[in-house]
Amino acid sequence: MQWVKEEVRDELKSGHRGPDESCQYHPCHFDGQDCSWCFCPFYPCHRPELGATVVSKRSGEPVWSCVDCEFLHRQDVSRAARELIRGEGIEDPDDPRLAGIFDELIARFNTRAKALMVLGATSDAGKSIVATALCRVLSDMGYAVAPFKSQNMSLNSFVTRGGDEISRAQHLQALAARMEPDHHVNPILLKPKGDAVSQVVVEGRPYADHDVRSYYEEFVPGEGTAVMRRNIEYLMRKNDYVVMEGAGSPAEINIYHCDIANMGAAKAAGADCILVVNIEKGGAFAYAYGTIMLMPEEDRSMVKGILINNMRGDASCLDEGIKELEGRLGVPVLGVLPHLDLKLPKEDSLGCRDIDGEGAVVAVIRLPRLSNFTDFDALELEGANVRFVDDPAELSDADMAVIPGSKNTIGDLEWLKGKGFPEKLRELKGKVPILGICGGYQMMGDRIDDPLAVEGPAPSSTEGIGLLRLSTVFDSREKSTVQVEGEAPGGGRLRGYEIHMGRSDRHGHAPLFRLKNGDGWRDEGCLDEEMMLMGSYVHGLFDLPAFRAFALSMAGKGPKDGEGDDHDDSVEEGLDRLAEAFRAAVDEDALLGGMLGALR
Amino acid sequence: MSSLMMVGASSAAGKSTVCAMLCRLMRRRGMDVVPYKTLNLSLNSFVDRDGGEMGMSQAFQAWACGLEPDCRMNPVLIKPHAEGRMQTVIAGRVADGSGLRERAFAEAMGCFRSLSDEHQHIVVEGSGSAAEINLRHSDIANMRTARATASPVVIVGDIDSGGVFAGIYGTYMLLPEEDRALVKGFIINRFRGDASILDAALRRIEEETGMRCFGVMPYLPFRLPSEDSLDMGAPGELEGEDVRGAWMDNLDRLADEAERSLDVDGLLSLMKDSTA
Repeated sequence: MQWVKEEVRDELKSGHRGPDESCQYHPCHFDGQDCSWCFCPFYPCHRPELGATVVSKRSGEPVWSCVDCEFLHRQDVSRAARELIRGEGIEDPDDPRLAGIFDELIARFNTRAKALMVLGATSDAGKSIVATALCRVLSDMGYAVAPFKSQNMSLNSFVTRGGDEISRAQHLQALAARMEPDHHVNPILLKPKGDAVSQVVVEGRPYADHDVRSYYEEFVPGEGTAVMRRNIEYLMRKNDYVVMEGAGSPAEINIYHCDIANMGAAKAAGADCILVVNIEKGGAFAYAYGTIMLMPEEDRSMVKGILINNMRGDASCLDEGIKELEGRLGVPVLGVLPHLDLKLPKEDSLGCRDIDGEGAVVAVIRLPRLSNFTDFDALELEGANVRFVDDPAELSDADMAVIPGSKNTIGDLEWLKGKGFPEKLRELKGKVPILGICGGYQMMGDRIDDPLAVEGPAPSSTEGIGLLRLSTVFDSREKSTVQVEGEAPGGGRLRGYEIHMGRSDRHGHAPLFRLKNGDGWRDEGCLDEEMMLMGSYVHGLFDLPAFRAFALSMAGKGPKDGEGDDHDDSVEEGLDRLAEAFRAAVDEDALLGGMLGALR
Repeated sequence: MSSLMMVGASSAAGKSTVCAMLCRLMRRRGMDVVPYKTLNLSLNSFVDRDGGEMGMSQAFQAWACGLEPDCRMNPVLIKPHAEGRMQTVIAGRVADGSGLRERAFAEAMGCFRSLSDEHQHIVVEGSGSAAEINLRHSDIANMRTARATASPVVIVGDIDSGGVFAGIYGTYMLLPEEDRALVKGFIINRFRGDASILDAALRRIEEETGMRCFGVMPYLPFRLPSEDSLDMGAPGELEGEDVRGAWMDNLDRLADEAERSLDVDGLLSLMKDSTA
């Protein structure tokens, strides 16, 4: 191993290197890794959390293996190591002072975050919003915070900079935590495909399809648990706090033993848990009591507090109930959060909400498997009146009709036909703008071919609505997930992301967008200005003002004033208001002293 | 006379629908049944033949029983209007003044007695959740009604919104012991999928509380008149010319399903045992 020693000797004398993009193996650990210490000067450290002793395949001897250790590839650790080594003037790989330097690095950097788990007594308790508030509150205090939810079922996904698919809720929480989201924050995403089957997305990429039974019996005990653990571990090493969100209720006693989303994850992280209950739906005290009492005793003691959410009116009328609940459970109620009307993206498709503006009426067809309805939140900034409709007659007085994204294009196209939407849309052609997004864009074309049965149970060829000269084929199981940036018609800035299977060929139409593609540009979507037809794969297309202005001016109703707001600004404002309301409603001494007090 | 009461683990657990279903099933068996709910908090009201205002869900349940709606079936109606102010309707007419709650309850029990003089069976519906411990002393619609009418009680829990075992268990456990003695069982509502995966959990709730599970109703997307503003715009099928006929067709489809999914005979025998 003399050659390794020589490599280390060179490294000790070199300067800081940062990520080495030129290396053919880069990134061998993670995006943004530091490559200064390709060979570790502290090998073998024998720290059990960084590696393990294995039997060498070549020699049959025990040997220290640390192939997955990322410690010295962290920028902060790498720089500190360089400074300490320089300070001591060490150039020899056998210098005994290296051991002392390593101990100091471990003491300073090899820390584990404090984890908080936000549980909900019901699905709509408000876990997600409480976790979002905690992310922002802790970030405001100057801590490095990461959100985490091991498993999410949602059709509203987001694509990270690395091209990984994660849930919208964790994306919003990452914004609240002021961190760049990657797949670690939501390593398992379930996207319902219909017929009780979901596509399981693992660490940002499609992994397999499962029904409920095979998910819990096959995926969860094996790969699922491993995925949950390794991603928690990763975030725990890099942050001061990990704010975890549970899924559904933690007291689903029929699946308790295989629940990796709630107490399973909380135990893996050693998290303190808060239980959120929604007072608006009634029965909040009963649900809180039942949730905690149905847990096994050892898990019950991990629940440190209860938050009552969504209170309208005077919270003092709850005092008597709160006192009794605390007395019976021995768990404090940390606060009563008022009902907040925040303009933040929603995750659950049950939450797809109409927006009551006074401006243009935008009718969005409520497809049975509608996905990414958060695309329309930004229209609120223009005072638009967004309605989700399921009857063609409801399109009659719309200023713009939208066919949104779908998790099952062919199935939802059949639904659309059954309802009589194609006839209505053809009647509206040329009178009001019609926009198709992603699956809706595919539906607007002439044909959709599925020779490999990607979408349905058998190969099929389906006639589209025929508004655009466009044909789509699902000729591969590959899923395209990518963030995009470019120009809206007229040249204004556009930013969004694509999530789709299948590809579409445009016959004769002008493109809708110009997107950056490496050093050049590519055309995307279809635009027929005369007939006011638009289609695109890009989600989030309304987020920046340029395309909103274009689409709404086509609808004969321009934006409410000349300069549109940036959707991002309104999200930031919403997050700050949320954190403010949270600080006002929650007993900080109980929360911050008792639960967040264990600071290093 | 005999009665049976459905209370909720949460507001939108599906009490009204389960009561309407039960009314329909009993009517189909030729039984003389009438609906009753002490108090409705709703803006969806109906007006009976004599101009008495009442909750829509009791009007619907009356049709399910083959009866003409009558404001005695819902003697107290509270209609929230602007900024926390409420209009109180007692026995069909707007009431004001002081001591409304006790007046309303006395009037309500009078209505219940007069219905019980005219009919053999009464299906009673609670209001909101039965275990709002902060309202224990002011709630007239749930356990106070159950005690006063000596009705056996069944808890309805909505599984679609999650946490149903906790909700049902917690509702039972937070009731005072004398009330618990009236609570005989529970129904799981709005389940999607294969109900056999719930078996072990249902047995555990039965064992820990002594209540009996009277069945698991599947989620069925049939629209009925909604009482609750939370349900506004709920999806679901509705077909036909006259909406009342369409609602009743949907209710019959639900009742057919209830015959398969619920222990209807068990529920009816609870009622028989209560005969005073």
